[in-house]
Amino acid sequence: MNVHKLWEYKEYVNVNGKILSNELISLLQNSLTLLQVENHFAYVQYWGQFHAVDTDYHIAVGMNKDAISDRKYFYTTDFKFWGLLPKAKKKYKHLSLLTTFPFRGDPSLKIKILDEALEENNPDRCQFMKEENRIAATISNICEEAEICSRGQLIKHPDSTVVINPNYYGLTASEAKLTKSYLHIRPPQHRWNTNLLTRPDYNYSMDFLDSIDQDIPNGCWNLSLEQNGSIVYLKSLYWPGMMFFHKVRTPESGFLYVGNGRKNLDVPFLL
Amino acid sequence: MSQTFMLEPEIIAAAANVLPDLNNDLVLAKNFLKQQSGATGDTLYDHMVDVVHKILSQKPPDVVDNFEQYSWQVKQEKFRPNFDLLNDIYLAPSQLALIRRMDEMFRLVASKSQRMEDVGEEEQELDLEEDSLRPRIADIIEHNYYFRECGYGLSEQECYAVYIALNMLAIKEPVATIRFFGKIFGTKANYYVAETDLTIEELDRRIREFEMKDMPGEGEGGEEDRAQEIEEQKEMMGEGEAKEEKPKEPVPPKLPPIPESTWQPPPIIPVERPGQGVNKKTYYVCNQPGEPWVCLPDVIPHQIRVARLSVRCMTGDLDAEVITYPPFEGTERNYLRAQLARIQAATSVSPQGFYTFGSGEEEEDIDLEEGAGDMAFNPNPFYQGHTLKDLVDSNLTYWVHHGRHILKQGRTIWWNPNAGLDEAVEEEEDEGLQPMEPESGPSLFTPLSEDGRLEGQNAWSARVSSTLVPDKAVAYLRSNIWPGAVAYSTTGKKSECMYVGLGLKYQPPNFSPLQLPRPQEEYAIGPEVMEMADPTFADEEAYRIAHLPPPPPVLQGEGEGEGLPEEEEEED
Repeated sequence: MNVHKLWEYKEYVNVNGKILSNELISLLQNSLTLLQVENHFAYVQYWGQFHAVDTDYHIAVGMNKDAISDRKYFYTTDFKFWGLLPKAKKKYKHLSLLTTFPFRGDPSLKIKILDEALEENNPDRCQFMKEENRIAATISNICEEAEICSRGQLIKHPDSTVVINPNYYGLTASEAKLTKSYLHIRPPQHRWNTNLLTRPDYNYSMDFLDSIDQDIPNGCWNLSLEQNGSIVYLKSLYWPGMMFFHKVRTPESGFLYVGNGRKNLDVPFLL
Repeated sequence: MSQTFMLEPEIIAAAANVLPDLNNDLVLAKNFLKQQSGATGDTLYDHMVDVVHKILSQKPPDVVDNFEQYSWQVKQEKFRPNFDLLNDIYLAPSQLALIRRMDEMFRLVASKSQRMEDVGEEEQELDLEEDSLRPRIADIIEHNYYFRECGYGLSEQECYAVYIALNMLAIKEPVATIRFFGKIFGTKANYYVAETDLTIEELDRRIREFEMKDMPGEGEGGEEDRAQEIEEQKEMMGEGEAKEEKPKEPVPPKLPPIPESTWQPPPIIPVERPGQGVNKKTYYVCNQPGEPWVCLPDVIPHQIRVARLSVRCMTGDLDAEVITYPPFEGTERNYLRAQLARIQAATSVSPQGFYTFGSGEEEEDIDLEEGAGDMAFNPNPFYQGHTLKDLVDSNLTYWVHHGRHILKQGRTIWWNPNAGLDEAVEEEEDEGLQPMEPESGPSLFTPLSEDGRLEGQNAWSARVSSTLVPDKAVAYLRSNIWPGAVAYSTTGKKSECMYVGLGLKYQPPNFSPLQLPRPQEEYAIGPEVMEMADPTFADEEAYRIAHLPPPPPVLQGEGEGEGLPEEEEEED
């Protein structure tokens, strides 16, 4: 969520039992604003935390022009130095889903991972992965599956850049209760006209992303209305600790992940 | 201004020979713009007027870049057909239902405190004996403040509402102490959970109810009934076979005996008494603060065992059915209660010395025999507090459990299944109940350093809430096994634990359900039941020849004619 609005959003973040303490917000605002200035980012957002054994990682996102493809992720353990995370490679994304050990807290630690799906003699069976790459891969996995925005928040210009909508008025109360009004922030995986055809009021500039109600299984997104129905919270069961909130009829919304970075594979059993 | 523009018909009527006129073009252009669109009845002219009007009145930044969006929004706002001929009813804001409930709650609590004030000070002294009537409610506002420092806890609005709701619980239900246990998320609604101790009268009443239910002898009486049933069945079968043999005409083939099930259900482990062991505390839940609190029933050991083997998300509806394997008897309220029991047993921690047995005086002998394992513990009035460094030590020696460990049986106090089945043992030799060793778990107040490590990580992670202001910092523990459970302790005398989460245990790498048991053998394996190949023709012939009756003895007086054929036969 937008770093400059953390103080206002402080009260909305409380869904998973995790809230941001005053000290944390102060430190974040200071160091992220400095980061923004150094890198000339248009927007800087606080993405979330990973709990590790020794210390916790804090992650931030910097965005320039394009809200989907022009993102850079940074991590820190002590708020003084933000390290740029490498771009996640496919191999690491696959491996990070296999590791069950928690994060250690040391970004340069190398872990050895055994991929049991491959046969014995395959040289790729046992691989090394640095923790930094693992963090980048986990973030990339989470963003692909769980990072969402409400419909209309991101719009696509005719020259196909995607920007945050400056005139966004928020969802209406009835729209907010449907999971169809929330879209994944990722290069769309469904056909371009899938979403357009399902809505009566389709809009070419807003409906270019996948909506979350196509996710399998059907109940894996948990939508709840809190505070007398004026705030909508969305939680994913696949990534426990992930939270998205949206204040109805206003442009306020935010995403936060706080957890240990493991995907929950038991979702079919839970429902 | 309108006088300078002439209407179209007039222009056409006027003269076709008139030179092209700026006025003319302008009018034509304007008329084109004023063409009504078939779909919406809107004209471009009106629309542009509206857009410019809106831009000038609102002055948004950088409109030229977002002009399309803006124009679209103007259109959206305009389209409001007024087909509604009925009077507008007043639509209350959607929060109304909730607000009404909260209002009721506030009034109730306010009136109670009003009454306390009215009673006056002198009479309050007389009320000292009845002090137990006023339940002690844990100060969650203060605890929440500390939790927020650590990064956990509830939002302030929620916290206050829950606090008032706890007050309401104290007024309405017979409880002696209340503690806020936490919040459990569900797919449709959340649960707020309060952990309470019942008043002594209420507890006695429930124990009496419990024992009365127990009188008809669930464990042993049940078995006797079953044995009777089996005997009756045998008699029935005996008669059936006898009847079959009487009508001789169509002789039915002799059937192998009907298979009888030799499976005996495992002995039912009895529930712990209310007020003891797992059922020491009573839990109340509600979906929203303001709703009436619902009491959760006591938990049965079998439910805990099933809950350990399954994984399920709460839905928020207490009567939802729970479909798991092994089958769970009960609805969601029983399942929720079982999970609460597990969470409480595993995650109730406090700094060492915070609680103590007895009244906190110098060491008393702690008997860990049957009855005494359930001794009550109280906050220690002599607790001094530990330093921050000790509390955050990753060995976790300074924190102890104050929740009783649940044994594999599902109880906290071991129950010996052999005790009640003396008669049955003599009858059935197959069952051979081996003398079981009593299960034992870690005793109360074991330090957390004894907790098993999970995947190279401690069961709890310790952190300090603040690095900038170490004097005011609070130490907190985060559970890695039950994600969502936290406990904090200041360097002074405060400590509390709380759970906010889905109610799921951390199971790396993931959960596998219990396998179905193998199908049982129906018939005892024997030659009647075993499959064998049918004999071939050659086999049957050989059988017949081998079993032919011996040839009749040759009669002497019959003549040689017959002897000859015999000889001939023998020669063959």
